[in-house]
Formats: sequence, structure tokens, C-alpha cells
Amino acid sequence: MTIGYGVGIGWRPEIGGFVAQLPGLRFAEVVAESVHAHGDLPVGLGELRDRGVAVVPHGVRLSLGGAEPVEPARVTHLAAVAERLGAPLVSEHIAFVRAGGVEAGHLLPVPRSREAVDAVVANVKRTQAELSVPIALEPIAALFDWPDDELDEGAFLTEILERTDALLLLDVANVYANALNRGTDPLALLDRVPLERIAYVHVAGGAERDGIYHDTHTDAVPQPVLDLITELCSRHRPPALMLERDGDYPAAAELRAELDAIAAASGYPVVT
Amino acid sequence: MTSLAQRQAELVAALTAGAAVPPGFDARLVEVARVALLRKRAGEVARQWPELAQALGTGWYRQWSAWAATRPTRGSLRDGWDLARELAARRELPAGAGAELAAREAIMTYDGETPPRARRMPAVRGAAGSVVVQIAGRVRVLRRG
Repeated sequence: MTIGYGVGIGWRPEIGGFVAQLPGLRFAEVVAESVHAHGDLPVGLGELRDRGVAVVPHGVRLSLGGAEPVEPARVTHLAAVAERLGAPLVSEHIAFVRAGGVEAGHLLPVPRSREAVDAVVANVKRTQAELSVPIALEPIAALFDWPDDELDEGAFLTEILERTDALLLLDVANVYANALNRGTDPLALLDRVPLERIAYVHVAGGAERDGIYHDTHTDAVPQPVLDLITELCSRHRPPALMLERDGDYPAAAELRAELDAIAAASGYPVVT
Repeated sequence: MTSLAQRQAELVAALTAGAAVPPGFDARLVEVARVALLRKRAGEVARQWPELAQALGTGWYRQWSAWAATRPTRGSLRDGWDLARELAARRELPAGAGAELAAREAIMTYDGETPPRARRMPAVRGAAGSVVVQIAGRVRVLRRG
């Protein structure tokens, strides 16, 4: 993905009307599991694709970080949705969402161990075998770590990306949340991961509760996350950066202001 | 050392089913994650079952978290459905949430174990004083509780 798409947004049915009216939009993402592989596309999504907006399916239920092999039907669905949308790539998380047949209901961290790296790499390769486009992998925001971590975050990610040849979906809000909650420097990670492999960037809001920062996607994007975009782009500007909002949708003016703030922080043109 | 699969299952059980936090984890942080997860699920179920959440009012989150703390999610549609049925069985389903449950019961068959399926035949269902009829997939509330 070498084209500069600029500022994008996560398409959700609740804000579909707002997204449809963004004149400069060239990049959007949709939750892969919310799109039927063969039935009707959600209202408005086909129109976006038809006007030339790149629409990337973003999987949330594949469980690439699970010790068990990824479920073939889920991979087939992701591949089919990518084809339907004519997507230039797909994305998923470095996380697991179920184990022993029980759904966690959320993205959970995998240990940064050799054993877990092997499990992730095997699942990513199984997935890539079905896909006709590249996959970008997103490191998550985790509230806790495993006791058996052997690698630091940078080494862990770099090894997975090198062994799978996958792209990176960097979520600057996750980088911020993880660093804040661990008392580490978010900039340090930017120097440890292959920035030239970034396919696109997630930007989201969060909130602090009981001294812990939660990556909620339902609150405003805090200034330090925007500052992180500027720091990232001064090192290597990724092809696209997109706002992720998953509930408590604010008024259109507020969403527009957040998109404009991402444009200002990255140096890309405004899309509103 | 137990396998990664085993340890992942233990962690999920701690987060969703009230099992003990596996050794070595920061119990405080896992508890923070467990509560955050319940809160996130509450929001998803409230979107899927707006009348249920609204009718329970200030008691919604308390009722929800007491019910959900030991039940891993089966999707927000089924989670809300199971909770509404349980409240109805205890005669604790608020009248304001009756029509919503009755409508779901009239539109779909749900055995509580496998995913709900659309009904092919007309159906009349009632809950908490509301009565709903479904014909050809269209629902009419005959009486609101």
C-alpha cells in the first residue's frame, strides 16, 4: 500500500450518513464480521466503495493469538468480504478472543513468549493462505501483562511481522494507553517497530477510571494521542490514519473536528 | 508447565466465569479488565435491548453485572434474551420491557441453547403484561404492560 490515502474513518451504521457526506474521504474501515459475505451490503457501504473510497475489512473475532488454529470458516468469511469490497488489504489483531470454547467478549493479550509468537505466526500464515490481499496486524491495548513475557513489545511485534511478512496496523491510542498504564515512554515503541511496514493507523479516544486509562473508543481523542501522531509522522508518515469511534457518537461537528485534528497532526489534507 | 491453550482458557474463565485469577497475573489489573469487560458487554446488550435497559433504569447495570459475572457472552442478543427470560420467570421483568421480549419471542424461536432462528409461522407471545402478534414477520403490539 504505497498510495497516500490520508485521513479516514471507521464506518459504522450509526454514523453512515455522516461518513457518506465527507467530501475528501478516500479511506474507511468496516468491522469484517458486520458484513455478509454474500447477502446485501450494509446501506451506504457499497456507495462508498463505488465512489472510490478504499474500504478495509477489520476482523475482530479471528483470534489470531489463540493457541488453537484459527477457524477456517472465519478466514473464508474475511477473504470473501475483502473480495466483495475490492479491499486493498484486510486487518486483524494480535490477540485472542476465545479459549476452550468460551468467548471472552473482548480482545485479550497473548504472552510475549516464543510459544505464543509461534502460535500467532502459524495462524497468520493460515489466514494469508486464503487471502488475495495483504493483512495488517494490530497490537492491542492491554490492561494487564502475562507473567511469562520473554520479549519486549518491540521485539515481539518485529518478530511476528518479519516471520509472516504482514503489514502493521499501528493504533496510536493503544500505544498511548499501554505506555501510560505501565509508566513507560510511548515514543520508545516508535523507535522499536518497523514504521515502514505501517499500512495505516488507528486513532481513538479513551477515558481514565480509577487511575487506569481505558481505550474506550467512546470518548474524545485526547491531545497526547494527537501529539503521538505528529511524532510518528515526523519519523515516517503512514499512508492513512483513521478515527475509530464505537459508540456514544457525538454531534457531526465534533466528529468533523476530530478528523480535522488528525489531519492537522499528520499534515494530510482535511477530508471534511 | 501447562500449555498455552490451557492457560488462555484459565484466563478467559477468570474474566468471564468467576474463576480464580491464574497464578502470576496481577490480580488487581485482571479485576480491572473483568469489570471493563462487563461494562462493555452492558453497553452492547443495552443497544440490542434498549427497553430492557431503560425499564430497569438505575438498576440496569447492577442486575446485568450480577447476572453476567459468571456467564461468558453468547452474543448481546442472546445475553439480553437470557437475562430478560430469567427476570420474567422470577416475575421481576419490568412492565416497560415486556413488549420488547414478547416481540423477540414472536419473531424468532430460541431454545436457550442454540442461536435464535426466524419463525416461519405466525405467533402470539406475551411477557410482563404485554401481548404481541407476529404475522409474516411483521409485529403488532396488542397490549402494552
